[in-house]
Amino acid sequence: MKELIKRLIRALLRVLLTPWRRRYQKRNGIVSNQPRHELPNDAWLGEVSQMLSEGKPYAIYVKGYSMRPFIEHTRDRVFLEKRETYNVGDAVLAQIAPGHYVLHRIIERQGDNLTLQGDGNVRGVELCKVQDVSGMVTQYIRPQRIIPADDPKLIRRIRLWRRLRPIRRYLLFVYKAIV
Amino acid sequence: MVNDMMRIKKGFELREVCGEHIIVAYGRENIDFNKVISLNESATFLWKNIFDKDFTAETMASLLCQEYEVDAETAARDAQALLDEWIKVGLVCS
Repeated sequence: MKELIKRLIRALLRVLLTPWRRRYQKRNGIVSNQPRHELPNDAWLGEVSQMLSEGKPYAIYVKGYSMRPFIEHTRDRVFLEKRETYNVGDAVLAQIAPGHYVLHRIIERQGDNLTLQGDGNVRGVELCKVQDVSGMVTQYIRPQRIIPADDPKLIRRIRLWRRLRPIRRYLLFVYKAIV
Repeated sequence: MVNDMMRIKKGFELREVCGEHIIVAYGRENIDFNKVISLNESATFLWKNIFDKDFTAETMASLLCQEYEVDAETAARDAQALLDEWIKVGLVCS
């Protein structure tokens, strides 16, 4: 029953937000449902990590919803580069368990200890060390435009999104009606 | 086109992931390249032998004849088709 109500509200929102949805899709592109050849996630990200450690920056498609609204599943790519150090606010590719990788944002750093969280996650966090990080996102590549990670407007939005964490669940609900 | 000297573009390389041979394009200059190309056995063999060298369709056909039991005409046709595909996808330049 709860799920049905959620679907109804989302459908209603999609209708009400149609002008914003069209504007958003025009500016950022549409999520593609085209079939694509996929490699097992961890094996592929392991290979990407290896490339980054060899000094070869690389752009990957992102799979999953954990970095919404800044990185959208299968629509966006990110350009990853290895850096000397990583700071709070950086979106990084990190190995959080043997053979298991995530692309999430650093929300806290204490010495070499990092706490990561997906922008689209409400509660879960991951812990790792700086040496577990393979590289960071330096460009957000959307179908219609490329946004550098040091873009001041983007940085302000990311900080605002972090501050709005208490209501993130509801904001994501509205976002899903627009994307 | 048949005898133009070609070369694999900078930043493109062969990697093996889960038993598949794939071509990736790294580096800022290839940021717009959003494909991952999977190569079969013979294409992988050719790639490994012409990587970092200048080559033509004839070079590729000759390599196929040396490695596989195939007549010259078939090798030439297959080599040209593969090279045309690589040019179309953007893996090679002259």
